[in-house]
Amino acid sequence: MSIDWITVAAQIANFLVLVWLLKRFLYRPILDGIDAREQQIKQRMEEAGRIRAQAEEAEARHEAEIARLKAGREGVLAEVRDEAEAERDALLSGARERLEAEQAAREAARADEACRFAADLELRGASALVALLRKALNDLSGEALEQRIVARAAGRLPAMAVDLAEAAGDSPEAIVTTQDALPEDLQTQLAQQIREALPDITVRFQTDADQSPGLILRVGGAQLGWTVASYTDGLQSMLEDAHKARGVPDAA
Amino acid sequence: MQLTPDEMIVFTIAGYGVNATIVFTWAVMAILTGASVIVTWNLRPDVPPNRWRTVLEAIVLTIQGQIDEISAQPDRRLLYFSGTLFLFIITSNMLAIVPGWQPPTASLSITAGLALSVLVAVPLFGIGSRGLGGYLHSYMEPSIIMLPFNIIGEVSRGISLAIRLYGNVMSGAVIAAILLGVAPFFFPVVMDMLGLLTGVIQAYIFAILATVYISSATAAPDAPNEQEQT
Repeated sequence: MSIDWITVAAQIANFLVLVWLLKRFLYRPILDGIDAREQQIKQRMEEAGRIRAQAEEAEARHEAEIARLKAGREGVLAEVRDEAEAERDALLSGARERLEAEQAAREAARADEACRFAADLELRGASALVALLRKALNDLSGEALEQRIVARAAGRLPAMAVDLAEAAGDSPEAIVTTQDALPEDLQTQLAQQIREALPDITVRFQTDADQSPGLILRVGGAQLGWTVASYTDGLQSMLEDAHKARGVPDAA
Repeated sequence: MQLTPDEMIVFTIAGYGVNATIVFTWAVMAILTGASVIVTWNLRPDVPPNRWRTVLEAIVLTIQGQIDEISAQPDRRLLYFSGTLFLFIITSNMLAIVPGWQPPTASLSITAGLALSVLVAVPLFGIGSRGLGGYLHSYMEPSIIMLPFNIIGEVSRGISLAIRLYGNVMSGAVIAAILLGVAPFFFPVVMDMLGLLTGVIQAYIFAILATVYISSATAAPDAPNEQEQT
Protein backbone atom coordinates (compact mmCIF):
# COMPACT_ATOMS: atom_id res chain seq x y z
CA MET A 1 0.00 0.00 0.00
CA SER A 2 1.79 3.08 -1.25
CA ILE A 3 0.85 6.30 -2.89
CA ASP A 4 2.11 7.06 -6.36
CA TRP A 5 2.13 10.83 -6.32
CA ILE A 6 2.32 11.01 -10.08
CA THR A 7 -0.85 8.99 -10.23
CA VAL A 8 -2.32 11.28 -7.58
CA ALA A 9 -1.49 14.33 -9.68
CA ALA A 10 -2.82 12.63 -12.77
CA GLN A 11 -5.99 11.69 -10.91
CA ILE A 12 -6.45 15.28 -9.75
CA ALA A 13 -6.03 16.46 -13.31
CA ASN A 14 -8.32 13.74 -14.60
CA PHE A 15 -10.92 14.59 -12.01
CA LEU A 16 -10.84 18.26 -12.91
CA VAL A 17 -11.16 17.35 -16.57
CA LEU A 18 -14.06 15.04 -15.74
CA VAL A 19 -15.74 17.81 -13.78
CA TRP A 20 -15.44 20.08 -16.78
CA LEU A 21 -16.63 17.39 -19.19
CA LEU A 22 -19.64 16.47 -17.11
CA LYS A 23 -20.43 20.10 -16.54
CA ARG A 24 -20.25 20.66 -20.26
CA PHE A 25 -22.05 17.52 -21.46
CA LEU A 26 -24.21 16.42 -18.54
CA TYR A 27 -25.15 18.92 -15.90
CA ARG A 28 -25.63 22.01 -18.00
CA PRO A 29 -27.62 20.37 -20.81
CA ILE A 30 -29.75 18.45 -18.35
CA LEU A 31 -30.35 21.37 -15.98
CA ASP A 32 -30.80 23.84 -18.81
CA GLY A 33 -33.22 21.41 -20.43
CA ILE A 34 -35.13 21.07 -17.18
CA ASP A 35 -35.14 24.82 -16.71
CA ALA A 36 -36.30 25.31 -20.30
CA ARG A 37 -39.00 22.70 -19.87
CA GLU A 38 -40.12 24.24 -16.60
CA GLN A 39 -40.15 27.62 -18.28
CA GLN A 40 -42.10 26.14 -21.16
CA ILE A 41 -44.52 24.47 -18.76
CA LYS A 42 -44.86 27.75 -16.91
CA GLN A 43 -45.53 29.58 -20.16
CA ARG A 44 -48.00 26.94 -21.23
CA MET A 45 -49.73 27.09 -17.86
CA GLU A 46 -49.87 30.86 -18.10
CA GLU A 47 -51.15 30.54 -21.64
CA ALA A 48 -53.61 27.88 -20.51
CA GLY A 49 -54.70 30.18 -17.71
CA ARG A 50 -55.08 33.04 -20.17
CA ILE A 51 -57.00 30.80 -22.58
CA ARG A 52 -59.10 29.55 -19.70
CA ALA A 53 -59.83 33.12 -18.68
CA GLN A 54 -60.73 33.94 -22.28
CA ALA A 55 -62.86 30.82 -22.46
CA GLU A 56 -64.61 31.69 -19.21
CA GLU A 57 -65.12 35.23 -20.46
CA ALA A 58 -66.48 33.89 -23.75
CA GLU A 59 -68.68 31.46 -21.85
CA ALA A 60 -70.02 34.25 -19.67
CA ARG A 61 -70.59 36.39 -22.75
CA HIS A 62 -72.27 33.48 -24.48
CA GLU A 63 -74.50 32.76 -21.50
CA ALA A 64 -75.39 36.44 -21.27
CA GLU A 65 -76.21 36.43 -24.96
CA ILE A 66 -78.33 33.30 -24.52
CA ALA A 67 -80.09 34.88 -21.54
CA ARG A 68 -80.64 38.05 -23.53
CA LEU A 69 -82.00 36.11 -26.48
CA LYS A 70 -84.16 34.02 -24.18
CA ALA A 71 -85.44 37.13 -22.44
CA GLY A 72 -86.03 38.77 -25.82
CA ARG A 73 -87.86 35.71 -27.08
CA GLU A 74 -89.97 35.59 -23.95
CA GLY A 75 -90.60 39.30 -24.30
CA VAL A 76 -91.65 38.87 -27.92
CA LEU A 77 -93.79 35.90 -26.97
CA ALA A 78 -95.38 37.87 -24.15
CA GLU A 79 -95.97 40.80 -26.49
CA VAL A 80 -97.48 38.55 -29.14
CA ARG A 81 -99.54 36.81 -26.47
CA ASP A 82 -100.80 40.16 -25.21
CA GLU A 83 -101.59 41.26 -28.73
CA ALA A 84 -103.38 37.97 -29.40
CA GLU A 85 -105.34 38.29 -26.18
CA ALA A 86 -106.24 41.87 -26.99
CA GLU A 87 -107.25 40.84 -30.50
CA ARG A 88 -109.26 37.96 -29.12
CA ASP A 89 -110.93 40.24 -26.59
CA ALA A 90 -111.66 42.75 -29.33
CA LEU A 91 -113.07 40.05 -31.58
CA LEU A 92 -115.12 38.58 -28.76
CA SER A 93 -116.32 42.03 -27.77
CA GLY A 94 -117.23 42.83 -31.37
CA ALA A 95 -118.94 39.48 -31.78
CA ARG A 96 -120.75 39.99 -28.50
CA GLU A 97 -121.83 43.45 -29.55
CA ARG A 98 -122.93 42.18 -32.95
CA LEU A 99 -124.75 39.32 -31.25
CA GLU A 100 -126.42 41.68 -28.82
CA ALA A 101 -127.33 44.02 -31.67
CA GLU A 102 -128.69 41.13 -33.66
CA GLN A 103 -130.57 39.89 -30.61
CA ALA A 104 -131.91 43.39 -29.99
CA ALA A 105 -132.86 43.66 -33.66
CA ARG A 106 -134.49 40.26 -33.52
CA GLU A 107 -136.28 41.24 -30.31
CA ALA A 108 -137.39 44.49 -31.90
CA ALA A 109 -138.45 42.68 -35.05
CA ARG A 110 -140.20 40.06 -32.97
CA ALA A 111 -141.92 42.75 -30.91
CA ASP A 112 -142.81 44.65 -34.06
CA GLU A 113 -144.02 41.47 -35.64
CA ALA A 114 -145.99 40.71 -32.51
CA CYS A 115 -147.47 44.18 -32.52
CA ARG A 116 -148.38 43.88 -36.18
CA PHE A 117 -149.70 40.43 -35.59
CA ALA A 118 -151.70 41.62 -32.60
CA ALA A 119 -153.05 44.62 -34.50
CA ASP A 120 -153.87 42.46 -37.46
CA LEU A 121 -155.37 39.87 -35.20
CA GLU A 122 -157.37 42.52 -33.41
CA LEU A 123 -158.51 43.93 -36.69
CA ARG A 124 -159.38 40.57 -38.12
CA GLY A 125 -160.98 39.52 -34.87
CA ALA A 126 -162.98 42.70 -34.67
CA SER A 127 -164.01 42.36 -38.29
CA ALA A 128 -164.99 38.76 -37.74
CA LEU A 129 -166.81 39.69 -34.56
CA VAL A 130 -168.66 42.47 -36.26
CA ALA A 131 -169.44 40.27 -39.26
CA LEU A 132 -170.74 37.59 -36.93
CA LEU A 133 -172.77 40.12 -35.04
CA ARG A 134 -174.21 41.48 -38.23
CA LYS A 135 -175.00 38.05 -39.53
CA ALA A 136 -176.42 36.80 -36.24
CA LEU A 137 -178.49 39.94 -35.80
CA ASN A 138 -179.72 39.81 -39.36
CA ASP A 139 -180.44 36.09 -39.19
CA LEU A 140 -182.15 36.20 -35.84
CA SER A 141 -184.02 39.51 -35.99
CA GLY A 142 -183.81 40.65 -39.59
CA GLU A 143 -182.17 43.94 -38.58
CA ALA A 144 -178.89 45.52 -39.51
CA LEU A 145 -176.28 46.28 -36.85
CA GLU A 146 -176.24 49.99 -37.61
CA GLN A 147 -179.98 50.00 -37.42
CA ARG A 148 -179.91 48.49 -33.94
CA ILE A 149 -177.14 50.81 -32.84
CA VAL A 150 -179.03 53.86 -34.06
CA ALA A 151 -182.15 52.53 -32.35
CA ARG A 152 -180.26 51.97 -29.15
CA ALA A 153 -178.66 55.39 -29.24
CA ALA A 154 -181.95 57.03 -30.04
CA GLY A 155 -183.54 55.20 -27.13
CA ARG A 156 -180.86 56.46 -24.72
CA LEU A 157 -180.79 60.06 -25.84
CA PRO A 158 -183.94 61.27 -24.04
CA ALA A 159 -182.58 60.10 -20.73
CA MET A 160 -179.33 61.94 -21.30
CA ALA A 161 -180.88 65.06 -22.83
CA VAL A 162 -180.20 67.29 -19.81
CA ASP A 163 -176.59 66.17 -19.53
CA LEU A 164 -176.06 66.61 -23.26
CA ALA A 165 -177.51 70.08 -23.25
CA GLU A 166 -175.14 71.10 -20.45
CA ALA A 167 -172.26 69.55 -22.30
CA ALA A 168 -173.22 71.21 -25.58
CA GLY A 169 -173.17 74.67 -24.10
CA ASP A 170 -172.91 77.13 -26.97
CA SER A 171 -171.87 74.49 -29.50
CA PRO A 172 -174.09 74.82 -32.60
CA GLU A 173 -173.81 71.30 -33.90
CA ALA A 174 -173.61 67.66 -32.98
CA ILE A 175 -171.31 65.44 -34.94
CA VAL A 176 -172.14 61.79 -35.57
CA THR A 177 -169.18 59.74 -36.73
CA THR A 178 -169.51 56.24 -38.17
CA GLN A 179 -167.17 53.86 -39.93
CA ASP A 180 -169.37 53.69 -43.00
CA ALA A 181 -171.97 56.15 -44.04
CA LEU A 182 -175.39 55.49 -42.42
CA PRO A 183 -178.36 54.92 -44.64
CA GLU A 184 -180.50 58.02 -45.20
CA ASP A 185 -183.42 56.74 -43.14
CA LEU A 186 -181.20 56.01 -40.19
CA GLN A 187 -179.54 59.40 -40.51
CA THR A 188 -182.96 61.06 -40.57
CA GLN A 189 -184.20 59.01 -37.62
CA LEU A 190 -181.07 59.74 -35.58
CA ALA A 191 -181.04 63.42 -36.45
CA GLN A 192 -184.66 63.70 -35.40
CA GLN A 193 -183.99 62.06 -32.08
CA ILE A 194 -180.97 64.33 -31.45
CA ARG A 195 -182.92 67.45 -32.27
CA GLU A 196 -185.67 66.30 -29.92
CA ALA A 197 -183.15 66.09 -27.16
CA LEU A 198 -181.24 69.17 -28.22
CA PRO A 199 -183.68 71.38 -30.15
CA ASP A 200 -181.32 74.20 -31.26
CA ILE A 201 -178.51 72.11 -32.59
CA THR A 202 -177.52 71.07 -36.04
CA VAL A 203 -176.63 67.40 -36.71
CA ARG A 204 -173.83 66.57 -39.05
CA PHE A 205 -172.81 63.04 -40.15
CA GLN A 206 -169.31 62.05 -41.08
CA THR A 207 -167.33 58.85 -41.58
CA ASP A 208 -164.02 57.64 -40.19
CA ALA A 209 -162.55 54.47 -41.71
CA ASP A 210 -160.34 53.95 -38.69
CA GLN A 211 -163.16 54.05 -36.27
CA SER A 212 -164.62 50.91 -34.79
CA PRO A 213 -168.03 49.88 -36.19
CA GLY A 214 -170.83 51.79 -34.43
CA LEU A 215 -171.32 55.48 -33.92
CA ILE A 216 -169.89 58.28 -31.81
CA LEU A 217 -171.81 61.40 -30.95
CA ARG A 218 -169.84 64.50 -30.07
CA VAL A 219 -171.63 67.46 -28.64
CA GLY A 220 -169.44 70.29 -27.39
CA GLY A 221 -167.07 68.73 -24.93
CA ALA A 222 -169.12 65.57 -24.51
CA GLN A 223 -168.77 62.36 -26.46
CA LEU A 224 -171.06 59.37 -26.45
CA GLY A 225 -170.12 56.15 -28.16
CA TRP A 226 -171.96 53.06 -29.21
CA THR A 227 -169.26 51.00 -30.86
CA VAL A 228 -167.91 47.49 -30.79
CA ALA A 229 -164.50 48.78 -29.71
CA SER A 230 -165.00 47.67 -26.12
CA TYR A 231 -166.00 44.24 -27.34
CA THR A 232 -163.02 43.92 -29.63
CA ASP A 233 -160.90 45.07 -26.70
CA GLY A 234 -162.49 42.26 -24.75
CA LEU A 235 -161.66 39.91 -27.60
CA GLN A 236 -158.07 41.15 -27.51
CA SER A 237 -157.94 40.52 -23.76
CA MET A 238 -159.32 37.05 -24.26
CA LEU A 239 -156.73 36.29 -26.94
CA GLU A 240 -153.91 37.60 -24.78
CA ASP A 241 -155.17 35.56 -21.84
CA ALA A 242 -155.35 32.50 -24.05
CA HIS A 243 -151.85 33.18 -25.37
CA LYS A 244 -150.49 33.60 -21.87
CA ALA A 245 -152.29 30.50 -20.69
CA ARG A 246 -150.71 28.58 -23.53
CA GLY A 247 -147.26 30.08 -22.89
CA VAL A 248 -147.09 29.28 -19.18
CA PRO A 249 -146.55 25.52 -19.61
CA ASP A 250 -143.92 26.24 -22.22
CA ALA A 251 -142.19 28.60 -19.87
CA ALA A 252 -142.40 26.07 -17.06
CA MET B 1 -1.54 -10.90 -6.11
CA GLN B 2 -1.77 -7.18 -6.83
CA LEU B 3 -3.41 -5.12 -4.11
CA THR B 4 -3.62 -2.07 -6.29
CA PRO B 5 -3.76 -1.50 -10.06
CA ASP B 6 -0.99 1.06 -9.70
CA GLU B 7 1.49 -1.74 -10.00
CA MET B 8 0.25 -2.81 -13.44
CA ILE B 9 1.85 -0.79 -16.23
CA VAL B 10 -0.32 -0.84 -19.33
CA PHE B 11 1.83 1.18 -21.70
CA THR B 12 4.65 3.68 -21.64
CA ILE B 13 4.68 7.29 -22.82
CA ALA B 14 8.05 9.08 -23.06
CA GLY B 15 9.59 6.67 -20.66
CA TYR B 16 6.80 7.01 -18.13
CA GLY B 17 4.72 3.97 -17.53
CA VAL B 18 0.98 4.54 -17.59
CA ASN B 19 -0.50 2.21 -15.01
CA ALA B 20 -3.85 0.49 -15.04
CA THR B 21 -5.27 2.97 -12.54
CA ILE B 22 -4.87 5.82 -14.99
CA VAL B 23 -6.19 3.73 -17.85
CA PHE B 24 -9.28 2.62 -15.93
CA THR B 25 -9.80 6.19 -14.79
CA TRP B 26 -9.78 7.30 -18.40
CA ALA B 27 -12.20 4.52 -19.19
CA VAL B 28 -14.59 5.72 -16.52
CA MET B 29 -14.22 9.25 -17.81
CA ALA B 30 -14.90 8.09 -21.34
CA ILE B 31 -17.97 6.11 -20.30
CA LEU B 32 -19.46 8.98 -18.32
CA THR B 33 -18.67 11.59 -20.94
CA GLY B 34 -19.72 9.40 -23.84
CA ALA B 35 -23.03 8.49 -22.22
CA SER B 36 -23.68 12.13 -21.41
CA VAL B 37 -22.85 13.27 -24.94
CA ILE B 38 -25.03 10.59 -26.52
CA VAL B 39 -28.00 11.25 -24.28
CA THR B 40 -27.82 15.05 -24.39
CA TRP B 41 -26.81 15.28 -28.06
CA ASN B 42 -30.20 16.26 -29.41
CA LEU B 43 -31.60 17.81 -26.27
CA ARG B 44 -34.13 20.51 -27.10
CA PRO B 45 -37.04 21.82 -25.04
CA ASP B 46 -39.52 21.00 -27.79
CA VAL B 47 -38.38 17.37 -28.03
CA PRO B 48 -40.02 15.06 -25.50
CA PRO B 49 -37.42 13.42 -23.22
CA ASN B 50 -36.61 9.79 -23.96
CA ARG B 51 -36.02 7.18 -21.29
CA TRP B 52 -32.23 7.70 -21.16
CA ARG B 53 -32.60 11.42 -20.80
CA THR B 54 -35.18 10.80 -18.11
CA VAL B 55 -32.72 8.53 -16.30
CA LEU B 56 -30.00 11.17 -16.44
CA GLU B 57 -32.45 13.84 -15.30
CA ALA B 58 -33.48 11.64 -12.38
CA ILE B 59 -29.84 11.06 -11.42
CA VAL B 60 -28.91 14.73 -11.65
CA LEU B 61 -32.03 15.88 -9.82
CA THR B 62 -31.47 13.30 -7.08
CA ILE B 63 -27.92 14.52 -6.56
CA GLN B 64 -29.15 18.10 -6.61
CA GLY B 65 -31.84 17.22 -4.07
CA GLN B 66 -29.31 15.62 -1.73
CA ILE B 67 -27.07 18.66 -1.97
CA ASP B 68 -29.98 21.02 -1.36
CA GLU B 69 -30.89 19.08 1.77
CA ILE B 70 -27.37 19.44 3.12
CA SER B 71 -26.30 22.87 1.95
CA ALA B 72 -27.92 26.01 3.22
CA GLN B 73 -26.73 27.84 0.12
CA PRO B 74 -27.47 25.73 -2.96
CA ASP B 75 -24.69 26.28 -5.49
CA ARG B 76 -24.60 24.73 -8.91
CA ARG B 77 -20.76 24.50 -8.70
CA LEU B 78 -21.23 22.24 -5.71
CA LEU B 79 -23.37 20.01 -7.90
CA TYR B 80 -20.63 19.87 -10.50
CA PHE B 81 -18.02 18.92 -7.92
CA SER B 82 -19.89 16.55 -5.62
CA GLY B 83 -21.93 15.06 -8.45
CA THR B 84 -18.82 14.27 -10.40
CA LEU B 85 -17.27 12.69 -7.34
CA PHE B 86 -20.32 10.50 -6.85
CA LEU B 87 -20.66 9.52 -10.50
CA PHE B 88 -16.96 8.75 -10.87
CA ILE B 89 -16.78 6.64 -7.72
CA ILE B 90 -20.01 4.75 -8.24
CA THR B 91 -19.17 4.03 -11.89
CA SER B 92 -15.75 2.77 -10.92
CA ASN B 93 -17.19 0.56 -8.22
CA MET B 94 -20.13 -0.75 -10.27
CA LEU B 95 -17.85 -1.79 -13.10
CA ALA B 96 -16.13 -4.14 -10.66
CA ILE B 97 -18.51 -6.84 -11.79
CA VAL B 98 -16.99 -6.68 -15.27
CA PRO B 99 -14.35 -9.40 -15.58
CA GLY B 100 -10.87 -7.95 -15.67
CA TRP B 101 -11.97 -4.58 -14.38
CA GLN B 102 -9.76 -3.07 -11.74
CA PRO B 103 -11.66 -0.33 -9.90
CA PRO B 104 -9.53 2.82 -9.83
CA THR B 105 -10.95 3.51 -6.40
CA ALA B 106 -9.08 0.44 -5.19
CA SER B 107 -5.95 2.51 -5.62
CA LEU B 108 -4.88 4.64 -2.69
CA SER B 109 -3.38 7.08 -5.16
CA ILE B 110 -6.82 7.66 -6.73
CA THR B 111 -8.63 8.02 -3.42
CA ALA B 112 -5.85 10.28 -2.18
CA GLY B 113 -6.20 12.36 -5.33
CA LEU B 114 -9.95 12.62 -4.78
CA ALA B 115 -9.41 13.48 -1.10
CA LEU B 116 -6.86 16.11 -2.05
CA SER B 117 -9.37 17.53 -4.51
CA VAL B 118 -11.89 17.80 -1.66
CA LEU B 119 -9.28 19.34 0.64
CA VAL B 120 -8.51 21.95 -2.00
CA ALA B 121 -12.14 22.51 -2.90
CA VAL B 122 -13.19 23.18 0.71
CA PRO B 123 -11.08 26.32 1.15
CA LEU B 124 -11.81 27.44 -2.40
CA PHE B 125 -15.58 27.22 -1.85
CA GLY B 126 -15.18 28.72 1.62
CA ILE B 127 -13.12 31.68 0.42
CA GLY B 128 -15.46 32.16 -2.51
CA SER B 129 -18.44 32.26 -0.19
CA ARG B 130 -17.16 34.01 2.93
CA GLY B 131 -14.01 35.73 1.73
CA LEU B 132 -10.44 34.91 2.71
CA GLY B 133 -10.66 36.56 6.11
CA GLY B 134 -13.92 34.96 6.99
CA TYR B 135 -12.75 31.55 5.96
CA LEU B 136 -9.44 31.76 7.85
CA HIS B 137 -11.26 33.10 10.88
CA SER B 138 -13.32 29.92 10.93
CA TYR B 139 -10.16 28.04 11.94
CA MET B 140 -9.96 30.13 15.08
CA GLU B 141 -13.41 29.35 16.25
CA PRO B 142 -14.54 29.13 18.93
CA SER B 143 -11.12 30.45 20.13
CA ILE B 144 -7.65 30.81 18.74
CA ILE B 145 -6.58 27.89 20.85
CA MET B 146 -8.55 25.66 18.50
CA LEU B 147 -6.48 26.73 15.45
CA PRO B 148 -4.06 23.77 15.43
CA PHE B 149 -6.83 21.34 16.19
CA ASN B 150 -8.97 22.67 13.40
CA ILE B 151 -6.04 22.38 10.98
CA ILE B 152 -5.36 18.83 12.13
CA GLY B 153 -9.06 18.04 11.83
CA GLU B 154 -9.13 19.41 8.32
CA VAL B 155 -6.19 17.26 7.25
CA SER B 156 -7.49 14.18 9.04
CA ARG B 157 -10.80 14.55 7.28
CA GLY B 158 -9.03 14.28 3.95
CA ILE B 159 -7.01 11.33 5.09
CA SER B 160 -10.07 9.57 6.44
CA LEU B 161 -11.89 10.15 3.17
CA ALA B 162 -9.08 8.60 1.18
CA ILE B 163 -8.43 5.67 3.49
CA ARG B 164 -12.15 4.84 3.95
CA LEU B 165 -12.86 4.61 0.27
CA TYR B 166 -9.65 2.86 -0.56
CA GLY B 167 -9.96 0.37 2.26
CA ASN B 168 -13.54 -0.58 1.48
CA VAL B 169 -13.08 -0.99 -2.24
CA MET B 170 -9.68 -2.59 -2.10
CA SER B 171 -10.71 -5.03 0.60
CA GLY B 172 -13.77 -6.03 -1.33
CA ALA B 173 -11.73 -6.64 -4.46
CA VAL B 174 -9.07 -8.55 -2.56
CA ILE B 175 -11.58 -10.69 -0.71
CA ALA B 176 -13.36 -11.45 -3.98
CA ALA B 177 -10.03 -12.42 -5.53
CA ILE B 178 -9.13 -14.66 -2.61
CA LEU B 179 -12.53 -16.35 -2.63
CA LEU B 180 -12.23 -16.82 -6.34
CA GLY B 181 -9.24 -19.03 -5.68
CA VAL B 182 -10.88 -20.92 -2.83
CA ALA B 183 -14.43 -21.39 -4.11
CA PRO B 184 -14.65 -20.17 -7.67
CA PHE B 185 -18.35 -20.88 -8.32
CA PHE B 186 -20.46 -19.42 -5.52
CA PHE B 187 -18.73 -17.10 -3.08
CA PRO B 188 -17.27 -14.69 -5.69
CA VAL B 189 -20.81 -13.97 -6.91
CA VAL B 190 -21.98 -13.21 -3.40
CA MET B 191 -18.94 -11.08 -2.73
CA ASP B 192 -19.39 -9.22 -6.02
CA MET B 193 -22.98 -8.44 -5.00
CA LEU B 194 -21.70 -7.29 -1.65
CA GLY B 195 -19.04 -5.29 -3.44
CA LEU B 196 -21.68 -3.55 -5.53
CA LEU B 197 -23.60 -2.60 -2.41
CA THR B 198 -20.45 -1.44 -0.70
CA GLY B 199 -19.39 0.51 -3.76
CA VAL B 200 -22.70 2.38 -3.94
CA ILE B 201 -22.60 3.11 -0.23
CA GLN B 202 -19.03 4.31 -0.35
CA ALA B 203 -19.69 6.54 -3.33
CA TYR B 204 -22.64 8.03 -1.51
CA ILE B 205 -20.64 8.50 1.71
CA PHE B 206 -17.68 10.08 -0.07
CA ALA B 207 -19.84 12.52 -2.02
CA ILE B 208 -22.02 13.37 0.96
CA LEU B 209 -19.01 14.00 3.21
CA ALA B 210 -17.40 16.19 0.58
CA THR B 211 -20.63 18.13 0.31
CA VAL B 212 -20.86 18.47 4.08
CA TYR B 213 -17.29 19.74 4.33
CA ILE B 214 -17.78 22.26 1.58
CA SER B 215 -21.15 23.34 2.94
CA SER B 216 -19.62 23.82 6.37
CA ALA B 217 -16.93 25.99 4.86
CA THR B 218 -19.41 28.08 2.91
CA ALA B 219 -22.04 28.33 5.66
CA ALA B 220 -22.48 31.60 7.52
CA PRO B 221 -20.81 31.66 10.98
CA ASP B 222 -24.13 31.57 12.84
CA ALA B 223 -25.54 28.86 10.61
CA PRO B 224 -25.74 25.38 12.11
CA ASN B 225 -22.88 23.17 10.93
CA GLU B 226 -23.59 19.73 9.56
CA GLN B 227 -22.13 16.92 11.59
CA GLU B 228 -19.66 14.63 9.95
CA GLN B 229 -21.07 11.25 9.13
CA THR B 230 -18.97 8.13 9.08
